[in-house]
Formats: sequence, structure tokens, C-alpha cells
Amino acid sequence: MKADLRIIIDKLFTSLTGLAIASMIIALFVILGPMLYRGFGAIVFRGTVEFRKMQIAEFHHGNAEKVKQEAEKTQKVRQVVYDMIHRFRNGIDIEELENRVKDIHRNYGNELQQKDISREQYKELRDFSKEIRDKLIDTFSSDNIEKIKENIDFVLQYEMDERFVETVAIEYFTIARDFLKSSAKIDFEKRDFYAAELEELEDIILRLLGPAPDADTPMLAQKRYGATRLDQTNILFHQLFWKEKWVEQENSVALIKIENSRPEQFAGTELEPLFGYIKDNIKQMLNPKLTFYWRYFFDDSTPGHYFGGIGPEIFGTLLLTLLSMIFVIPFGVISAAYLTECTKEGPVVRIIRMCINTLAGVPSIVFGLFGMAFFVLFFIPIFGGPSQPCILAGSLTLAVLTLPVMIRASEEAIKTVPQTYKEASLALGASKFLTFVKVTLPAALPGILTGIILSLSRVAGETAPILFTAGIAIGPIPKSIFQTTRTLSYGSWDMAVSDKLAAEVPHNQFGMVVTLVLLILCLNAMAIILRARVFKKLKGH
Amino acid sequence: MTQINNNEILKPMVKAKKSKYNSYDIEKIKMETTRPSRLYENVISESSTPIIKAENFSFFYGSKAGVKDISMEIYPQMVTAIIGPSGCGKSTFLRSMNRINDLIPNIRVEGKLYVNNQDIYAKQIHLVNLRQQVGMVFQKPNPFPKSIFDNIAYGPRLQGIRKRSTLQQMVEESLQLAALWDEVKDDLKKSALALSGGQQQRLCIARALSTKPNVLLMDEPCSALDPIATSKIEDLIDTLKNDYTIVIVTHNMQQAARVSERTAFFCLGELIEYDTTSNIFSNPGKKQTEDYVTGKFG
Repeated sequence: MKADLRIIIDKLFTSLTGLAIASMIIALFVILGPMLYRGFGAIVFRGTVEFRKMQIAEFHHGNAEKVKQEAEKTQKVRQVVYDMIHRFRNGIDIEELENRVKDIHRNYGNELQQKDISREQYKELRDFSKEIRDKLIDTFSSDNIEKIKENIDFVLQYEMDERFVETVAIEYFTIARDFLKSSAKIDFEKRDFYAAELEELEDIILRLLGPAPDADTPMLAQKRYGATRLDQTNILFHQLFWKEKWVEQENSVALIKIENSRPEQFAGTELEPLFGYIKDNIKQMLNPKLTFYWRYFFDDSTPGHYFGGIGPEIFGTLLLTLLSMIFVIPFGVISAAYLTECTKEGPVVRIIRMCINTLAGVPSIVFGLFGMAFFVLFFIPIFGGPSQPCILAGSLTLAVLTLPVMIRASEEAIKTVPQTYKEASLALGASKFLTFVKVTLPAALPGILTGIILSLSRVAGETAPILFTAGIAIGPIPKSIFQTTRTLSYGSWDMAVSDKLAAEVPHNQFGMVVTLVLLILCLNAMAIILRARVFKKLKGH
Repeated sequence: MTQINNNEILKPMVKAKKSKYNSYDIEKIKMETTRPSRLYENVISESSTPIIKAENFSFFYGSKAGVKDISMEIYPQMVTAIIGPSGCGKSTFLRSMNRINDLIPNIRVEGKLYVNNQDIYAKQIHLVNLRQQVGMVFQKPNPFPKSIFDNIAYGPRLQGIRKRSTLQQMVEESLQLAALWDEVKDDLKKSALALSGGQQQRLCIARALSTKPNVLLMDEPCSALDPIATSKIEDLIDTLKNDYTIVIVTHNMQQAARVSERTAFFCLGELIEYDTTSNIFSNPGKKQTEDYVTGKFG
């Protein structure tokens, strides 16, 4: 009976441990799987012509000639959209129309001054132009369709007038005719509403297709190109077809979201077919192609990581990590050597050890503040360096952060070296120092490498210590260790908390995080392989 | 047949002091002068002159005595065995002879222990030189986790020999002395840990010989080995005694009888009897010795 129970408990224990491992692996897949999938979306995606335009203009990658042809091809399809909007605007935007009519009048006046005509003639023509102008302005602000028709007909009778032929004033009639056409379909009550709606619509189309070919290049990089990835069109389509509105409820503070159909709002107007046209022709307008954007790991990015890659972030992370390793490895090993080889167990050593253990538990933000107070403001200026956040200060802070880990690991490693090795070395006449360097250290190397692996992972992923000592979100690639740098961890943090633009490019966010995970994995794999090789060499198999 | 000048051990140290340092920075000099005096190469002393001499030598671990009041003389070109029950201080005594016991904290000695007429617990003694003259083989084979070549070359390299051909020659010499050359000559680059236990122990002997010591201390060298490996080591000891003074601590009385010329019997930290091996085993002078060698206790 007792034996049976023992067997059952044994099996239970085995299955429980197995279950624990299995659930851990599943959790890992559940957490990492979607993240990896979405992160890879930053590299492999269906890139549109806007993406290729962006690559050429911002990063000078790709075949400019080919992309130009592609852009021309897509432009033909897009022109319909722009024309539709243009015509619709002519019907509703009174202020714009008034301005244009005023412009025409002014330009006409300028043109007349260039001509060789008498003063009276000039005055007469000006007055006539003014009359037409005022008539049109009067028409635009009118709500009465009969009056509009009358006025337009009045204006249009002068269309063939010799006074206006081959002058800028001919535009009066184009405007007049367009206005008549659109006003036939429009509800005048809704004019202002349409004007506001059109602005919104144009913004969405700008984000979908990029700026119109005749428009000025926008100042902000993110406005210069349309949807660079086909998956972005899904979100934009939703915005295009559904207008989001937050309304207050009667008896509650919370607002609720109401989505109104945009095509319905424009029902009956000239713009109604626009929606269907965009939806049907989006592929021709954007020309998506499956893209493998390997340059993601090397490219710089536009502010806010809107376009481009994470090259500077990877570079900065590697630089900070390696530099801090350079600081922490010798310090850690020497401290461990002191604690194990050079002192006897006593109160002093116990206190030192306690300090090290406490240090290991200090929150990283405290190290960040310490780094700023000590390295940035005090230590580096002593040696004539700049008193500002820089890579050197950051890596020193990270080194301090990970020093306890390094010391503990090295100490354990040195302790596990058999005493017989040391005895053998000493018996051959080696000094204590030489014994340590030539025998103890090589034999402790696998353990020390474990410490390096632990430190490396910690350093590469830390954000708080570099907040005030080295990290920036937007800035140039560092040229010396006395400058700030971008890093993957800082970038991920910044995109998550402070950059509203980042919400529009989640693939970049995921790409950065996944790259950080993979980078740490790679560094670890390298160290683990190195450790295995050292271990193998030590064991002599 | 030269008598060794007891100041010779100190000689390189003094030289270095004159040439390089004006101050009396002993510690620094110690670090610098790892090169030993090689005056003892091929020196054959008269068998009547002891190479190691203990005078009322006591060794304390803290307050507990490891050995008490030992007075004995060990003669060159001879195998001297130290036998006794566990914890009798035989290893402690052996390990005092090259001061490898210094690694243990809180130790203290009383009396004198002379090696080559030099009091090795004197303040000015240079440990590096001492240990290069008094080689040691430990209980468990303890080759470094390095290649066979690097194991043997470790000692010579410490002496500052860097030339590959010289090292090669010294490695071969040492391995041949330890009767290991024929077995490993083709894979000197292989890790020493890949060798068998017996081979590892012979490698350790070769390594101890590489610094050209004149005394070889062996602390139960065969206790971790099987009988075949043991007999190989014993044969080796037999050949080596022509050129080296060997002190061997052993639990195995047959082994002591087989390999040694003289035997010391220790019990509870004291030297009970010290005589020629044949006397100890066939005609012991004391009752305690007789009881031990005949297996009545121990």
C-alpha cells in the first residue's frame, strides 16, 4: 500500500513538472507568437507605390526611373478622384470661390496694364470685370436656385465676348459653369456642413494617396506620402466610410462613439461615386507589391518612426551594451577575485557582499538618477567631458547597474574551480597572481560567461538607466561616445507613451520590440555557444 | 658531489634587488623574479648529507596541532615513505615541505624545517624558488584543463621560457621521464582531461618534473588508481629515485615496502619511528610500529 502511494506521488510529481514546463512553453508561444508575427510585418508586407516613392526620396533606395513610371501610371487612376473633389469644392466652398474670382479680377487688371490701351478703355474694362465679379460673388452667397440660374445665365452671355477672349478673365465662365452644375445637385442649407466634411475627407485621402501632384510638398515627413503599406488602407477605408463621432449621453459623463456612414452624408452630391471608385480602384492607385524590407535594420527613420527603419536604434543598443560590457567585465571579475582569493571571510567582506546584494535589488530608475547625478553632472566633467547625457555616461550607468550580477556570477564561478588546480599551479612555483590569471580564470570562464550573458540581456533591454544618461527618441546618429544615442528600448518606450504618431504605425512599434528581443536572443546565443565551446575545451571531449 | 650553499636560493632575488630596485620592495621583487635558481640541476649530494631536515618541527591549524615536534632527516637520491593511520599528520608534514599548506588560513609553525640547509619558514624565503625545487604530486590526478603540452609547459613558461623548440624539448624530456611519452606523443594537443586516471597521474609527475626539482613530494599518488596504473607509477618512482629525492606518503604499506628505502611511521601527529624500510617492516623498534605494520590497528 505504502509502495503504491509512493509510486503515485512519484508519477504525480513527474507529471506536474512536465505540466509546468509545457504551460511555460505555451505561455511563451502565446506571448511571443503574435508579437513576432506582427513584428515581422515591419519587414515583410505589401508595399505600395507610396512606399517606393518614400524610399527614393527619403533614403535614396530603389530605381528612381521605374518608380517614376509607376507613379505616372497610378496617377492616371487617381486623377479621377482629384477631379471629383475639385469639382465638388467649386460648388460649396464660397470663400474659396470668392477669393478665386477676386484673384481673377486682380490678374485681369494686371494683364490690362501690360497692354497698350488708353486710360478710358482700361477703366471701362475694369469696371465691366468688376461687375461680373460682383455678380458672381452675389451668386455664390445666394440660396435661391432661381436667382443663381438667372445670374449665371447673365454672366455666361459674355463668354464669347471679345473683351475677355484670350485673357485670364475667361476663367470666370469656367467657375460659373461648374458652380451652376454643382448647385443643381446641392442642398444649400448643407453647404457649411459639406465644407467641413470635405476637409475631413481630403485629409483621409491625403493619408491614403499622398498629396495631390500639384500641391506643395508638406513640411512634415509623415504627410508627404500616402499609405505605404496595403494593410494601412483597411484602417483608412474604415475612416473613409465611417465618420466617427463622440456624443454626450443624457445622464452619464461617458461619451459614446457613434459611427455614421460617410457615403450617406454625401448622398445625392457629386461626391457620392467617389467612395465606390476609391474602393474599386485602390489596387491600381497604390499598386501594392510584396516587399521584403531588409533595410529596415539599417535605415534611419523620419521623426516619430513614421517611415523608415531602426538602424540607429540597433547601432545605439549594440554600442551601449558592448561599451558597458567593456566596463563591467574587468571590474566584475577583479572584484570577484578580490572577494574570493584575496580576503578572508570576515565582517568587512560580509558587509561588502551585503552591499552587492542590495545593489542587485535596487530599481533601475534609481540607477538612472544616480547616473545622471554622478556620471553626467560630476564624473565626466571632471575629466573635461561635456556635462550632458552621452553614450559614455549611459554605458557607465548600465555597467554599475549590472555590476552586482557580474560579481556574483564570477564569484560563484571562481569558487567552483577545484582547489587542486590552484595547488598544482602553486606547487609548480607560480605566484598567486599568475595562478589566478593562468589557471583559475580560464577554468572559471564558463561561469563568468554565464554572468556576462545575464548582464548582457539586462543591459540591452534596460530603459530607465538611460532615460537621463544617454537615450533620445529623435536625433542624429552619434559620431562619438560623448553624444546621445537612440536605442531600441528607449525607442519602444517612447513610441508607447509619448508619440501619438506611433499609433498609426504599429508595425514599427512591434518591429522594434521584436528586434530587441531577437537582438538579445542573438547576443545570448553567441555567448552560449562561446561558453559551450570553452566548456568543451576545458572538459577535453 | 658539491655541497649546496644555502644562500643560493636567495641569490636571484638579491641580484634583482640590486639591478632593478633601489628600494627594499620585497613584494615587488617577488613578483618579478619568478625565474628560479637552477643551481641544483644534476647535483648529487652525498647520501650522508640530508636534503631535508626537520628540527622539532610543529605545525598548527589554528590551535590544533597537525604535527608535533618532528625531528627527522631525509636523504637525497632515495625514496622515503611516510606511513601512518589517517589523520596522523603525514600529509601535513609532507605539505609543509614546499609550504603548500600556506593556502590554509590561520596556520602557524614552530621549530625549523630545512630544505637544502635553508630554513624554509624563514621570512626572506622565496616561495616561488622553493616550490620549483620541491615539486609535488597530489593524491588525485589534477591536470589543468589544458592540452597535454600546455600542462607540461606550464612550469617552464613560468620560468620565462618562451621559445617553442626549447619548450618542445622540455615537454618531451619530462614526458619521457614519466614514461608517458610513447602513449601521448601523437596527441600533445589533446586535453589532458581526456587521458585515463593513471595517465593523468603520470602527466602530473611529468609536470612536476618539468621545473627540474630535486625533491619530489608525493601525497598518496596511487590512492585514486587501479592496481595496473599503480604498478606503473611504482616502476616510475623506482627509475626516478636515481636522480631525485622522493618523499612519498602512502596508506598502502605494501607500496611503502616495495618502493622506499627508508620509512617513517607517524601516529597522532608524532613521529614514532624512522628507519630503513626493511627494519620498519621486519624488525620494528617500537611496539606501536609493529602493531601498525602487522595490521593490528590502523
